[in-house]
Amino acid sequence: MALSKEELKAAMIEKATKAPKPQLYVKDFYKCDPDTKPRMIKNVANELVKEGELMFWSSGSTTMYARPDRIKNEEARDDAEEHKND
Amino acid sequence: MPKHDTPLLDELEKGPWPSFVSDLKRQAETKPECWDILGQLELSYKDRITHWKHGGIVGVFGYGGGIVGRYSDVPKQFPGVAHFHTVRLAQPSGMYYATNKLRGICDLWEKYGSGMTNMHGSTGDAVLLGTTTENLEPLFYDLTHIENQDLGGSGSNLRTPSCCLGKSRCEWSCYDTQALCHHLTMHYQDEIHRPAFPYKFKFKFSGCPNDCVAAIARSDFAVIGTWKDDIRIDQAAVKGYVNGEFPSNGGAHSDKDWGAFDIQKEVIGLCPTECMWMEGDELKIDNSECTRCMHCINVMPRALRPGVEQGATICVGAKAPILDGAQFATMTIPFLEINADNEFEEVVEQIEKIWDWWMEVGKNRERVGETIQRVGLPTFLKIMEVEPIPQHVKEPRSNPYVFWQDEEVPGGFERDVREFRKRHAQ
Repeated sequence: MALSKEELKAAMIEKATKAPKPQLYVKDFYKCDPDTKPRMIKNVANELVKEGELMFWSSGSTTMYARPDRIKNEEARDDAEEHKND
Repeated sequence: MPKHDTPLLDELEKGPWPSFVSDLKRQAETKPECWDILGQLELSYKDRITHWKHGGIVGVFGYGGGIVGRYSDVPKQFPGVAHFHTVRLAQPSGMYYATNKLRGICDLWEKYGSGMTNMHGSTGDAVLLGTTTENLEPLFYDLTHIENQDLGGSGSNLRTPSCCLGKSRCEWSCYDTQALCHHLTMHYQDEIHRPAFPYKFKFKFSGCPNDCVAAIARSDFAVIGTWKDDIRIDQAAVKGYVNGEFPSNGGAHSDKDWGAFDIQKEVIGLCPTECMWMEGDELKIDNSECTRCMHCINVMPRALRPGVEQGATICVGAKAPILDGAQFATMTIPFLEINADNEFEEVVEQIEKIWDWWMEVGKNRERVGETIQRVGLPTFLKIMEVEPIPQHVKEPRSNPYVFWQDEEVPGGFERDVREFRKRHAQ
């Protein structure tokens, strides 16, 4: 039986928090509930982005999802590099 | 005064053609960061490697596409292009703009970005090249509120649909490409602005098999106009061409003297299915053999026209990946009605069949054409509920095995093993 939307959201957040790599493809979330249709998972993932629980990471050709506290943008990374030896 | 020496790039200004290097130098007079583009490109030419890195978390709120993050890997050397993001704008169907719209967009881009544009990117979008992360939200606000202009698609989204001029200017268009393109753009707003798929997905719409938007080469779902019945022939105009009264190809090749028009050599002899011949001074066509290549119609536009029962052929799965090589889309549905009165529901039905299947079966970063290659066309045709026809066959089979499905075998594959053993005792 498919999970409720709230249960699915919780499972997806847990997956994004515990996965070894910070960025996940939308397909990686399918395993959170094999009974839920891929389009529904996609809609829930985008809802989580709206709520600030996930954020998009895009290479330009592919888009992935990540927990905001697990990835840095390039500007922040450049700043961190610059202050590494301070 | 140039900020960087660019001897290699300067070579590109010497030819008779317009030069992007000259354009960038002119733009640098008001946008000094353009010197750093030239400097970094010169360095790339020397090092023979790109100094751009792309991707990241840049974007505007609520959108999962339309902005492509771009950064320099030598930011200290070229601080003007340390962050140099690309913005994709959804183009109007057929790329018809009013000039005040273009001026408005350019003014906003002078204000928030480098002023450099690319009209148009290969997906079709108007591409604005080079801005910083902090300028993205104000630019997006002004684009949407002042110019009523939306972003296009990028990443694992549906890319901005694009189409040819269609019935607005072309007598050969077999359906209203702009109407279909606009309808699907509005219908699939969520898929354009938020990632939905294992990888990118592109629609392109061509009104006839001349395929002016190269839908068959560039899109996952190509809708190419065609006709079901016979090519319309005006025999008097055929005679006119033969007698040299009309220039062939609408005069497109009249810059050189090619000699007198020869219908046998230039039309009949070039028909790929050899389905044309002359009977006296009348042109005959075996339409059942016609492959809709458009060559004869292109050569003699006054004499020949597409038939009247018009619709589109659906081809699926073009791609150009680096490892596997480019692949044209495969003809999947030979003829589909394109009907605006029911909001193109036949087309929508086919699209969603593909998406539902590909979202489940497609691997990460696998275009639908690659998924079809992996599972085989017969499996894909079953998904699409299309009966195989000879035109689906690319080449004679090399695999000697025939795989039958349960329902194709009388009695199926179910059997009573005990009963079998009674008859075939070991």
